[in-house]
Amino acid sequence: MHIAFITFLAAVTEETAKAGKSIGLGVGGGLGAVGAGVGIGIIFGKAIEAITRQPEMRDEITQLQWLGFALTEACFFYGLVAGLLAAFIV
Amino acid sequence: MNATASEPAPPTGSDPRPASNVKRTLLILAAVWIGGMVALFLIFGSGGRNNTYQPQNEFKLDNWVHLGVFSINKAVLYLFLAAIATCVSMIYIARRMQARPNKVQTAVEALYQLMRDNIAGGNLDERMAKRWFPFIGTLFLFIMFSNLVGYIPLPTNTEHKIDVLGLHIPSFSLYAATANLSIPLVLALMVFVSYTFEGIRAKGPIGYLKGLVPGGVTGGMAVFIFFLEVLSNIMRLMSLSIRLFANILAGHLIILFMAGALAVILGLSALAWFTIPFGIALFAFEVGLVAALQAFIFATLTAIYLGGAVAEDH
Repeated sequence: MHIAFITFLAAVTEETAKAGKSIGLGVGGGLGAVGAGVGIGIIFGKAIEAITRQPEMRDEITQLQWLGFALTEACFFYGLVAGLLAAFIV
Repeated sequence: MNATASEPAPPTGSDPRPASNVKRTLLILAAVWIGGMVALFLIFGSGGRNNTYQPQNEFKLDNWVHLGVFSINKAVLYLFLAAIATCVSMIYIARRMQARPNKVQTAVEALYQLMRDNIAGGNLDERMAKRWFPFIGTLFLFIMFSNLVGYIPLPTNTEHKIDVLGLHIPSFSLYAATANLSIPLVLALMVFVSYTFEGIRAKGPIGYLKGLVPGGVTGGMAVFIFFLEVLSNIMRLMSLSIRLFANILAGHLIILFMAGALAVILGLSALAWFTIPFGIALFAFEVGLVAALQAFIFATLTAIYLGGAVAEDH
């Protein structure tokens, strides 16, 4: 009776650990993508706004826009790396 | 009456024929794409889930030459490839400079101008830009070449071998030196050491530490901000290295999955047919934008940190 219960519990814990890893990957990738998506949208929107206001500053604004894009995009990868760590390594 | 009937239709915008041609071609392509997927699914069906293939092994580093700490593995090979590609191509072009430049020389000159005027010149004063331009330019070119070499399929995957006329050659795979955390981390450490060194040289060790706190802040608040600034200096190491590493790794991972790993894992051949256009599009995106953009970001941030370390007030 007891042994059966313990084996049952062990199986449940293993399944739960697997589920937790999947949740970690999903949250790391998914929520990271949400934040970075909003950020990238704001950056490009503001860049277009700035260029329409001052077209003569186009080159400078474009450079800053790519800088901001890469910095924001990197935040998505921080989440993704954390998710991958949770899923495959921990 | 006849004259008006035979009159050609008024020109509304562009000629409608090419538009319909494009539309027809797109429709045919879409039909081939979807139809091929359905046909493949009907022919091969599902092979069931494949548990023997481990996608993380694509990034495993096996030692090829055992030399203790200095063992040579895939990442070391790619590091050497990138270094050789950078040196050879740049020295070759610099030796063959001509008054009337060809296309390659024009491109390299544009790159040089970007490094000198925008990355180094835009973020540093004149004296600092002159001193640190070689370092920043080398970082930029090395990271860019390292990223680009990574997108050439090379026979480096010793995990899986393919049989060609009795010869077991390693299967072709994508890998980049920068897709391994150690190499970006070493580059970031170099940047950290050089800007700290430059700051201490400009202001002295005490002055540099004092310079971390913005002017006008005193008392307990200054102590708090000092620790915050020290922490953010350490975080710079992490963000510089993880940004580069994760961008390249994620690019390789998504190309791997789109180019067939997903189909192999799930045992669905039809899925590979479905995902391969995405794989090609992402490959073009990574090669065309991400490889150069990450190098640009790394070099720009290096210049910003160097400039910030010697700036008079915070």
